Amino acid sequence: MGRLRQKGKAGAVKAYVTRSAAVKKLQCSLADFRRLCILKGIFPREPRNKKKANKGSSAPTSFYYAKDIAYLAHEPVLKKLREHKAFAKKLARALGRGEWSSAKSLEDNKPVYRLDHIIKERYPTFIDAVRDIDDALCMIFLFASLPSSAKIAPTLVENCARLAAEWQLYVMRSNSLRKVFLSIKGVYYQAEVMDQTVTWLVPYQFTQNIPSDVDVRVMLTFLELYQTLLGFVFFKLYADAGLVYPPPLDERKDESGAGVGAFSLQEAKQTYSASVANVSTSEGKRVSSKEVRQTIKTISSGPVDDDTEMPDVDSSAQSAEVEEDFVPQPSTSNTQGADALPTLQTLSSVAPSHMSNLFASYTFWLSRETSRPIFEFIVRSFGGRIGWPETSGSGSPIAEDDDSITHVIIDRPVVAKPNETDEERDRRQRRKYIQPQWVVDCINAGRILLEEPYTQGKTLPPHLSPFEDRQDAYDPAADMVVDEMEDDEESEKVDISAEEEESRPENKALKAAAAAEDAAALRAAELEAEAAGVDFSVFEKEAKKARRKTEVDADADGEEAGEEDMNKMLMSNKQRKLYERMKYTEKKRTVERQSLEQKRREITKEKKRRART
Amino acid sequence: MAKDSTKKDTKKRKARTEEEEVVEDAREDTNFPHDVGLELHSEDEGAEADEDSEGEVDEFPEIDTRSDSEDDEDEDYEGSEENDEDEEDSEEDDDEFHIFPKAKTIISDITGQPKKVYPDIEPDYDSDSSTEDVQNRVGNVPMHWYDDLPHVGYDINGKKVLRPARGDELDKFLETVDDPSAWTSAFDKTMQSDKPLTAEELDLIRRLQQHENPDSAYDPYEPTIEWFTSKGKEEVMPLSAAAEPKRRWVPSKWEKQKVMKIVRAIRQGRIVPNKPKTSSDKPTFYAIWNEEPSTHPAPLPAPKPRLPTNAESYNPPEEYLPTEEERKKWEETEKEDRERDFLPQKYSALRLVPAYDQFIQQRFQRQLDLYLAPRIQRAKLQIDPNSLIPKLPSPNSLKPFPIYKSLSITHEKGRVRSLSVSSDGAWAVSGDESGVVSLWEVIVGKEVKRWKFEGKIGSIEWCPRTDVSFFVVGIEEKLHFLIPPYTPPTVLNATLTLLAPATLPPAPANPSPVKWNSPAASSFAVEKPILTVTLPSTSGLPKQISWHRRGDYLATVSSGEGQGGVWIHQISRRHSQAPFKKIKGSVQLVLFHPSKPNFFVATQRYVRVYNLAEQKLLKTLQPGIKWISSMDVHPLGDHLIVGGYDRKLCWFDLELSDKPYKILRYHSRAIRSVHFHPTYPLFASSSDDGSIQIFHARVYNDLMTDPLIVPLKILRGHQVKEGLGVLQIKWVPRQPWLASAGADGKVGVWCS
Repeated sequence: MGRLRQKGKAGAVKAYVTRSAAVKKLQCSLADFRRLCILKGIFPREPRNKKKANKGSSAPTSFYYAKDIAYLAHEPVLKKLREHKAFAKKLARALGRGEWSSAKSLEDNKPVYRLDHIIKERYPTFIDAVRDIDDALCMIFLFASLPSSAKIAPTLVENCARLAAEWQLYVMRSNSLRKVFLSIKGVYYQAEVMDQTVTWLVPYQFTQNIPSDVDVRVMLTFLELYQTLLGFVFFKLYADAGLVYPPPLDERKDESGAGVGAFSLQEAKQTYSASVANVSTSEGKRVSSKEVRQTIKTISSGPVDDDTEMPDVDSSAQSAEVEEDFVPQPSTSNTQGADALPTLQTLSSVAPSHMSNLFASYTFWLSRETSRPIFEFIVRSFGGRIGWPETSGSGSPIAEDDDSITHVIIDRPVVAKPNETDEERDRRQRRKYIQPQWVVDCINAGRILLEEPYTQGKTLPPHLSPFEDRQDAYDPAADMVVDEMEDDEESEKVDISAEEEESRPENKALKAAAAAEDAAALRAAELEAEAAGVDFSVFEKEAKKARRKTEVDADADGEEAGEEDMNKMLMSNKQRKLYERMKYTEKKRTVERQSLEQKRREITKEKKRRART
Repeated sequence: MAKDSTKKDTKKRKARTEEEEVVEDAREDTNFPHDVGLELHSEDEGAEADEDSEGEVDEFPEIDTRSDSEDDEDEDYEGSEENDEDEEDSEEDDDEFHIFPKAKTIISDITGQPKKVYPDIEPDYDSDSSTEDVQNRVGNVPMHWYDDLPHVGYDINGKKVLRPARGDELDKFLETVDDPSAWTSAFDKTMQSDKPLTAEELDLIRRLQQHENPDSAYDPYEPTIEWFTSKGKEEVMPLSAAAEPKRRWVPSKWEKQKVMKIVRAIRQGRIVPNKPKTSSDKPTFYAIWNEEPSTHPAPLPAPKPRLPTNAESYNPPEEYLPTEEERKKWEETEKEDRERDFLPQKYSALRLVPAYDQFIQQRFQRQLDLYLAPRIQRAKLQIDPNSLIPKLPSPNSLKPFPIYKSLSITHEKGRVRSLSVSSDGAWAVSGDESGVVSLWEVIVGKEVKRWKFEGKIGSIEWCPRTDVSFFVVGIEEKLHFLIPPYTPPTVLNATLTLLAPATLPPAPANPSPVKWNSPAASSFAVEKPILTVTLPSTSGLPKQISWHRRGDYLATVSSGEGQGGVWIHQISRRHSQAPFKKIKGSVQLVLFHPSKPNFFVATQRYVRVYNLAEQKLLKTLQPGIKWISSMDVHPLGDHLIVGGYDRKLCWFDLELSDKPYKILRYHSRAIRSVHFHPTYPLFASSSDDGSIQIFHARVYNDLMTDPLIVPLKILRGHQVKEGLGVLQIKWVPRQPWLASAGADGKVGVWCS
């Protein structure tokens, strides 16, 4: 006989804890628990059997893995949160007593937690981190556009705007933007970074206010994590691209509304690989005299060398180094290292796909009413040059009367210009005036489209999502032509058959005979045929033939379906349920597609009718 | 105030000597009205005060012991107390109030100190006038006990103290006008009447009002008595003779070391005196992914949000725009129930696109999903659903099987419950509920003969023997053996000799309740049954007749009670026996095994297999059906199919297990009948949904190969009447044809 099993000692009841039990165990407030869960990425689990996990109660509760909570108990952030609680109490007391100096010193030594270890823990490799920055980017772009308020500190908005600009700078430089979609929700961008597709959504440029039914604290906690994550990811991306992170910001340009242009990308002169090689040699156990000599040589070759090694280790030193002007200085260790290991920078510079230089030969001018941040980003990501009027911000590289401008992105109806100088008219005729959708459609199509349907004042063709990739989904673009042809054919056929029928009444009778199901109908058809003057034997033959034909048609379909249906009998219960579930979604999709097709048919018919009248 | 006085009282009571107690008593009595008389405090407060005084008792003795050592001082103390009282009294004297006896101050003989002496109390009537004041001796009880009574208590003699008359509000007011002392009187609870306050009480109130000390005897400016530190009382000798330690005048070495440590740290820059703010939120970033990643698997990434479709475009194709009713429906549904969180819209230009008002909400929703929603990892099946359907040989390759209805005959009245086909496959009989049995040719479908019986026809079965030709009809408690017309004479003779032999076999030893009657062979007529077996009364309608393969035995199952209603009849011996004395559950069906002496008995939920030769139970099959309706055994005898009213059909491999090898559920209504074809690899089932399902069922001789079951054809043609469909099906021997009888009164033959 086996060991007696005690209830509540093993299984689901030990593997899961309810939220309230978790909070009790961690001895923190619910708000702190929420913060921890967000930062650590812990989420509730669904036990197989709720009753077993909750000691027989089936009340609605959220469960966490007991192990998750056990790990949380040793979290440094939790310790800091507890310290912060004590700090808050002390500060409140000091303020209450009017002890300003002690309050100040308390405030100075406020406990602050860092999230580095959490980032490393949640994303053990860089690829993991890049895969998961979608949500982070969405949030950063949203908060960069929010007005600062009592709840949202201006520094936060500033930092978000900075991170957003850094990301855009990186994408523009690495030409990694792939798809753009203008939706009613905002602009969706998709980039390919480190072979991972990163999709983010940027709201249109309007002032948004946080609605009252949204808990800002939750959003801010997420934002805290996302800022740290993006900081580390950008550092790595910039370092791999051989750039200095953070890119220095030109305050003056920023104030004049230069946007992304306020940041200047600076190449780090020392490649990363060299420093790695250096470090590895110095760390090696057995150091040969030759290596020692070489190291001494590198050190003596210039103090800059030493400095440039540091940015990978110490960022404060790096930022200091950024400020001083850089003098390119070749180092001895550098040459070998750079040759040995191809960096991302070299790789990306060697093989840029032709797609990424889609607009390389074009120069755009943005009209006043188009959104500059969107189109500056898009055009520059695809290698184009772009200029904008002073009203959209400073820093335009070209002026409006520049001769190199090939396209003007304009989004307003055509207005006659009576007093136009010759020069202006000439210029206007040289340039192509297109609506903004053209740029985006070109990118999604992967080639330069004809400008004609997109010219100023034209009704635009529909803007389709580049993300629709399901095989059986309704494709509005593809079968439009086929459908039209079918439509035409059908109408022709109907016309012809109608004519024929009118001319040959006996045919009609025969058809009726074929369709006749019971004896009475057959009899009626026979009479009709006789009246039409058809010989009875002919009628008999024809009727039989017609009937067989219809029967065969029906059989071929029915038998196939029937056979399949019958074979379903032998499925096991489990298989049958799975089959039905799969069929359900399939059917739902088909219905959706069919309804869309139906709608379009109606719309085209309506249009045709209207065109005729 | 009462609290104070009681406290004081208790203190005094403890410290006082024997002779003073009397005085104290008197005093207490006078004080009594202070305690109870005033309405100003509630009873609770009084109780508290009592408790407090009790508490004080324990603390007091400390003072007491000290006073023991210095008796005179104690006296003094007491004296001073009394003095205070005295002073109070003297004040009262001025006001012409005199309560306490006057004390005299004399010089004590023993101590030489002044001391107060009270006059002795003379125990006559005038000695203590204060007692007379309190007429009501009811004590400290809640006065509302007397609310409904005419009296308010009892005096010292036990006489009732009547409640003083109390006027209404007007009287009260007039009284206050008339009586000049009315404003200084208060309600006396014990007497239930107003009483003027005494002068000392008034004084107390005045003091309290003016925030003075309530005790008039208290002197806040008493000169301090210096007990230890006054002149001449300094300590002359030191308490300890130890030398003064060095630390009193030498600066601490360790302190210096500690300070120097800090100073050094500051000099070296390890400690920054004014440390830059830790809260300066400038996160420093570094190459965090340069070290080796840990061997732990990365936590699962959160699922990415859905990518936008064409419908979300600012300029979608027109067919994506919702119609008016779709828009209305979308607006009416709850936010959580909506299939998508937006309504497609079309703008003619990008500049016209407004801000999306749900942007922040949807971001927030996503975040809630990230940290609040349970996540389950599901493997997505990338398979074609049609691949789940088992691949079976095509029915076309498994021909012949019945495909179409070749003919049908109709019973005008009643549903046809029973049907049987002769062993040569030429004839069929069907019986309906109105008692009509009709014989017809299978090939032509022409009715040849009709019999009419009283009552329902429960079952009909042809004898499987080929050398004789007759069939058995089961009606109410009777089995009729009938010989069809147009039988060849040799067969007819053999049948007659079998059913109505000239010499009856000897009667069995113990007489059976079943009677066998047959008219003489000479008086044979087709209309009359040649042999009638009368089952015992109350056995009810024989609902099933089952022949043994050799045709000598037949088993019947009756619907009535007793012995399970199962009888086995032997024709040659004209003898019937009940195989079971007692059987568990109500028997639904019985069957003979085609080759072994085994007997299948289906009760409501189980099928039991008995060996008749050894008379024992072989096994119990558990089909898992709620109510078994039909059963048939494969002609080879190793397989059994069982149909149930709960739409299930179970295939048993008798060699394999007690559990079904396969459970099929394809009929939409109860299964009524199942039948194996005797020669072809076919079986069929009929159901209340009016359909007949034909299966190909190939059984292999080697034990390794599973039987092959292929559904072949669904035959429809019978109408469903009153919830009943096809009640009985029988295969035509030697032909792949099927005969079926339905509740709509139709009997049909389905040909291949």
